[in-house]
Amino acid sequence: VKIKPSLALSYGLSAFLFLSSLACLVLQSELNSITPLWEFALIASFLISVLNALTNRTWRVGLRSMALLSMDLIYILAVFILIFTGSLGPGFEIKSPFGIGASFGFKLVLPFLVLATSILTAKDSINIQYNYSPKGRQALVFLAVRLSAVLAILILGGILFIIISKGVWALSWQFITEPPRKLGQEGGISTAILGSLWMVLGAMIVSAPLGIGAAIYLHEYSRNVSLNRLITIAVSCLNGVPSVVFGLFGLAFLVTHFGISLLSGSIILGLINIPTIILTSQEALKSVPNSLREGSTALGATKWQTIKKVVLPSSMPGILTGLIIGVAKASGETAPIMWTAVTFTAAPVQMIYGVVPNVFQPVNNLDYHLLNLISFLGAWDVEKNAWGTALVLLILVLATNMLAIVVRNYYRKKISW
Amino acid sequence: MDLPRPGRMRFQRRYGERFIEAILFVFAMASIIIMLLIFYFLVREGLRAFVEVGTLNLVLGQKWHPAGDIYGIMPLIIDSLLITALALFINISIGIPLSIYLAELAGTREKDILKPAIELLAGVPSIVYGFLGIIILVSYLQSSFDMLTGRSIIACSILLGIMFIPRMTTICEDALRAVPWEFKEGSLALGANEWQTIRHVTVPAASSGIIAAIILNIGSTIGETMAALLVVGNVPRIPSPIFNIFGQGATFTSVIAGEMGEVARGSLHYQALFAVGLVLLVVVSILSVMADLIRARIQKKFGGY
Repeated sequence: VKIKPSLALSYGLSAFLFLSSLACLVLQSELNSITPLWEFALIASFLISVLNALTNRTWRVGLRSMALLSMDLIYILAVFILIFTGSLGPGFEIKSPFGIGASFGFKLVLPFLVLATSILTAKDSINIQYNYSPKGRQALVFLAVRLSAVLAILILGGILFIIISKGVWALSWQFITEPPRKLGQEGGISTAILGSLWMVLGAMIVSAPLGIGAAIYLHEYSRNVSLNRLITIAVSCLNGVPSVVFGLFGLAFLVTHFGISLLSGSIILGLINIPTIILTSQEALKSVPNSLREGSTALGATKWQTIKKVVLPSSMPGILTGLIIGVAKASGETAPIMWTAVTFTAAPVQMIYGVVPNVFQPVNNLDYHLLNLISFLGAWDVEKNAWGTALVLLILVLATNMLAIVVRNYYRKKISW
Repeated sequence: MDLPRPGRMRFQRRYGERFIEAILFVFAMASIIIMLLIFYFLVREGLRAFVEVGTLNLVLGQKWHPAGDIYGIMPLIIDSLLITALALFINISIGIPLSIYLAELAGTREKDILKPAIELLAGVPSIVYGFLGIIILVSYLQSSFDMLTGRSIIACSILLGIMFIPRMTTICEDALRAVPWEFKEGSLALGANEWQTIRHVTVPAASSGIIAAIILNIGSTIGETMAALLVVGNVPRIPSPIFNIFGQGATFTSVIAGEMGEVARGSLHYQALFAVGLVLLVVVSILSVMADLIRARIQKKFGGY
């Protein structure tokens, strides 16, 4: 694509303004050194935009586009004048406008205004380049879409990067294998990891049969359409129930019977998982072609034999994916178990005969451990261990999710009907 | 030869099959039963708060002040509405372009990397988001806007908005992808360019899916607990002026999670918290049913998609 040098220059200027102002906003840096550069870039992009508009004879396009263009240019000029005359200088501050609890200082307002000018310059340049045609509009929108995709990826990638880069310094063999000491300031998180593992295992024991069984009934047995519809609605309702409400339910119902215990926590997490498992299992069952069922029935197999020997094995990858996602979901929940299953303790999980845990005891849990460390943040020196705990939790959850994706993709490639 | 006698086999077949079907039926009913149980227990524990405080006083009361046994959930409603609206704004303005990018613009290789990455991020536990929010976002806002404390309605909105981007993107992308190819090809054949096709054909055709995604997101934003609890400040009061998003606030979930640990079982405070939970449950259930009805409509519209 051939671009006029003047247009290329204005793209370059707007890219510079965009990146530098965004960086200043994010880093909260001092603006003394960059302000002159911005002044220069602003007046330059103003002049070049005027020049571009004149040489491309933009006035022939229409009154509305002309009006918009001149408004943009006036705005850019206004920002330049504000900076140049010093009315938008380092002392500038809008103090709690309308009585809201925030002030807008120089370091915030100036980059923001500059950011807006950069976006306007880019918009006008693209429009001028394509002479305000639908093609230009497409280029404009696709640029915006790409930018917001990049922004989203930066944010999400940044989150992972921060946790990994901060948490990795707390990680060590001792951190994973030792119980916490001094309220988590020292020592590791072994009890929390074990507690989490047992609780998730319990949750899966509760939810896997219930969820898979319900999906089989809904997809293979039920002929009653309205009952099916009712159950589907109940499932999506259950899927939407906030985790804290599950906590309340557990507090009112389970804790009165089982006390604050591993058992209560496992049951609640299991209930939370049921909708996920039903939905994914149903999808998996749907993907099994009817010819397989018919073939099995034609050989004389009963319905259950068909399901057990034909349908379930061929839908296993999908069901397995659902179960693994369930594991990840259950290990990331805090609110439902806060008052029903956990305690902030360094004591290891008590075992019966060294094999099964005593289900009537409260245990520690990774999420709850992290919550407690967060609440100690200002008071004690727990930040390093908190980052470590967050990283371990993240690794556990992401690794299980990754496993689910890998299983799904592997079988998607392998199975073809 | 050790074959079972035909009579016994028939018996096993008949009653074994019936038995299995009955068990599976019970499993399938479990969702309904659990839903009813949740409602029952929340009503049972929360009912006395409605009676003692008075339903109108409880729902419209302007003050939540447990120490004085004053329970009005208007502050929670207003704060939750503000937070949900702002979070949704952030969520939509980043999530929908991202889903359009993934469904329409990205090449195969970009998609192969981005899609699993975004799905992975949907699984990051909310407590981790809360931790990041408190360490990074709250202190950034505090110094940037010169606030008394960075724990505020806006911090909560930004955090929740970012948190649900992956989920929004995944559902919207599925909706966009479900639009049959013929629609787009028809539009392109008529001379529309790609953006005109997306704008006037693909997005409108996928609109019910996108709306369902938005409704689901409203539900999860209102119901999100740990992240909200950590960054919102948990001070239940009506913001003054009403658009003061830079002040501390409290949501339904943060009040329940923040205060339930300290209340005595059976006290009025305990029951008021259950009443808050009941209101929350009713709101979220209505949203879920709405989303489900919309999804059922899509299935009818596109037949199988």
